[in-house]
Amino acid sequence: MELFSEIYSCYYQVMRHLLSNQNAVSMQDIRAQISAEGFEESLLSIIPKLESGAWNLFDRDGGLYLSKLSFPLITPLSNLEKSYLKALLSDSRIGLFLAPEQLETLQGMLSDVTPLWRQEQFYYYDRFAGGDPYADETYRSNFRILLQAQKKRQYVDIDYNAPNGNRVHHHYVPARLEYSVKNDKFRLLALKNTGSGRMRLELLNIARIRSVQPMEKTLSSSIDLNALIQSSYYKEPLKLQIVNKRNALERAMLHFANYEKNTSRIDEDTYECLIYYNQNMETELLIEVMSFGPMLTVLGSDRFLTLLKARLRRQASIL
Amino acid sequence: MSDFQELIGSFPKTREYVRDFFVYGFKTRNDFKDKSPRTYDNERRRLESWLAPYVRKDYAADGSNLSLAIDSSLLDTNPLFQVWKTKSFTDNDIVLHFLILDLLRDGRKMTAEEITDGLLAGYEVLFDIQLVRRKCNTYVKEGLLQKEKNGKTVVFFLDDAPAVWLGSNEAVLDALAFYQMAGIFGIIGNELLEQFDSGNRSFRVKHSFFVHTLEEEILLELLNAMNQKSAVQLEIKSSKQGNAGTAHCIPLQIFISTRSGRRFLCGYVRRSRRFTCFRLDSVKRVTLMEKAEEYDELSEKLNRNREKLWGVSFQNGGKHFLDKLSMTLQVLEPSENYILTRLEQEGRGGTVTRTAPNTYLYEVEVFDCNELLPWIRTFTGRILALECSDQSVVRQFYRDLQSMYRIYGIEQE
Repeated sequence: MELFSEIYSCYYQVMRHLLSNQNAVSMQDIRAQISAEGFEESLLSIIPKLESGAWNLFDRDGGLYLSKLSFPLITPLSNLEKSYLKALLSDSRIGLFLAPEQLETLQGMLSDVTPLWRQEQFYYYDRFAGGDPYADETYRSNFRILLQAQKKRQYVDIDYNAPNGNRVHHHYVPARLEYSVKNDKFRLLALKNTGSGRMRLELLNIARIRSVQPMEKTLSSSIDLNALIQSSYYKEPLKLQIVNKRNALERAMLHFANYEKNTSRIDEDTYECLIYYNQNMETELLIEVMSFGPMLTVLGSDRFLTLLKARLRRQASIL
Repeated sequence: MSDFQELIGSFPKTREYVRDFFVYGFKTRNDFKDKSPRTYDNERRRLESWLAPYVRKDYAADGSNLSLAIDSSLLDTNPLFQVWKTKSFTDNDIVLHFLILDLLRDGRKMTAEEITDGLLAGYEVLFDIQLVRRKCNTYVKEGLLQKEKNGKTVVFFLDDAPAVWLGSNEAVLDALAFYQMAGIFGIIGNELLEQFDSGNRSFRVKHSFFVHTLEEEILLELLNAMNQKSAVQLEIKSSKQGNAGTAHCIPLQIFISTRSGRRFLCGYVRRSRRFTCFRLDSVKRVTLMEKAEEYDELSEKLNRNREKLWGVSFQNGGKHFLDKLSMTLQVLEPSENYILTRLEQEGRGGTVTRTAPNTYLYEVEVFDCNELLPWIRTFTGRILALECSDQSVVRQFYRDLQSMYRIYGIEQE
């Protein structure tokens, strides 16, 4: 079972789509499709193969190309894919997606397949305890309603236990379901109408949702979620200085790989890293920076420095 | 430039380049001193081609600085999956792939001779019969085709029913959309989604380290050895020192950190008679070795030992006892009770005792308390006392704290 195989390659995918056209297509159409789906320079490789007939998969009629293949083109599952799917059947979260009868059907299809891995072969040693209750029927039902509503851009009526103990009741449009590997929890990225025609992004722990009801209303205009997230970043990023001792650089780069960042070298052993973040990320980022101790130096922002110094002052005052 | 190929034949070398650009994100031409300029130029051009939307160029004093701008909270897929889709192939490979699958799509069973004739008759393409047979046998091995033997006759056929069922099942597509982002071997989930012309517009993942995908080929080989309960020989190149070496071990479990982004193979080294963790990104090659008769026994032993493991270090300087650490914290009640939740969620089996109003004692026994230091530092501002049977841990903590006071100009009373 090969993971790095041409059968999964980008070129095969592009060709599958080109060959799935039931009507003859022009070279211009082909170029457009390769540009949209291939790598940046794929045109240079694929077009000569089609023009020369080296990839003899089309009938040519003047300038038009007609696929020799029947439609639809279906690629059977490879052993690797079957083995992967079999492993997913043992994952505790699979029941969020597949109903028991669907699980049974898939189990039957893969009955003679060895799973690619078993859950006990992996150990997440620093994962937080108290992950979400994936087997809980209410949780599953809420999850499915939210997922369906997200796909339809449908408003939902949510009754929620806020972390501060307050019970909150609002109408939201689910924008994304966000999973945290560290917390083993799902959160809902939810859009809430601010009343002035604008949408605000809120985060809700799915396990804290008491009930959720889909509503008739849908969101008519599309929202650029990423623009909304990026606009929430503080103008001034966190600026870190990393002196490459005790493998600090490699550690920091891996540790902060999740964040949007930009790193540059200042001199032989010193690097500067800018990390972009928003208020929701602030405490977690502060904790992560503190875990490095003096291996990292915070140069800015003033806001972040203030928070860090406050922790240090409090420490100095009690020890 | 004329010999530039966008696709590649072998993965390992490219994996190193991608890792350097992705993990460090500040590499200039001068940082690749041990590579020829042409190699660097070609590798760089490939990366720019595969990952074009994510490549960022900045201009530094010592040359242009190429990095990958990948903010996982803004992405619906892992851009580094692209690297897995770059395997080169021959003209015959791609033509045979599509024509054979098309010829057999109705479920008919055909010999290699009949397939060869069918390709000529149906598609006007002439192939050597040996080539066709070889491709069919390769696809049997990969699972795309199946093979049956009737006496001396071997026939090939395909079964696309599972693919049809999966591709038309919305719940399956949702599951794949999630697991490609959040799970192990996400690249396979991603390839399945592509195969079904679907994608992810519903899920985002936090604390997922995209760079892990580059280690999946190594992981596949290790799992294969684990499933066979066999020993392995590892070729290792440390990113820290850059030196290479080999290790022989019995692979038992994959340890994953959700915080630091590191993954390890935990194996038993017979020579030292110890459990040892090897970073997956330092393993360059895995060779399957002999069966390990003691595999199950070692797995059980590891499970027992794991209870006293904070991270990945089984070392405690050859001592025959565990290190004990206790940390007293100031937690202002009730406004800071979330700290107690943190201790409960993150404390890995340690105990928490309220010793006085606003004062809590956290205690734990583990193999190597040095591993706790980064976590302890996250409580800076609340630590009333720290004690450890390994004094060097306490000394290191106070030394680091003093350094931080100096760096940030904190006056001590």
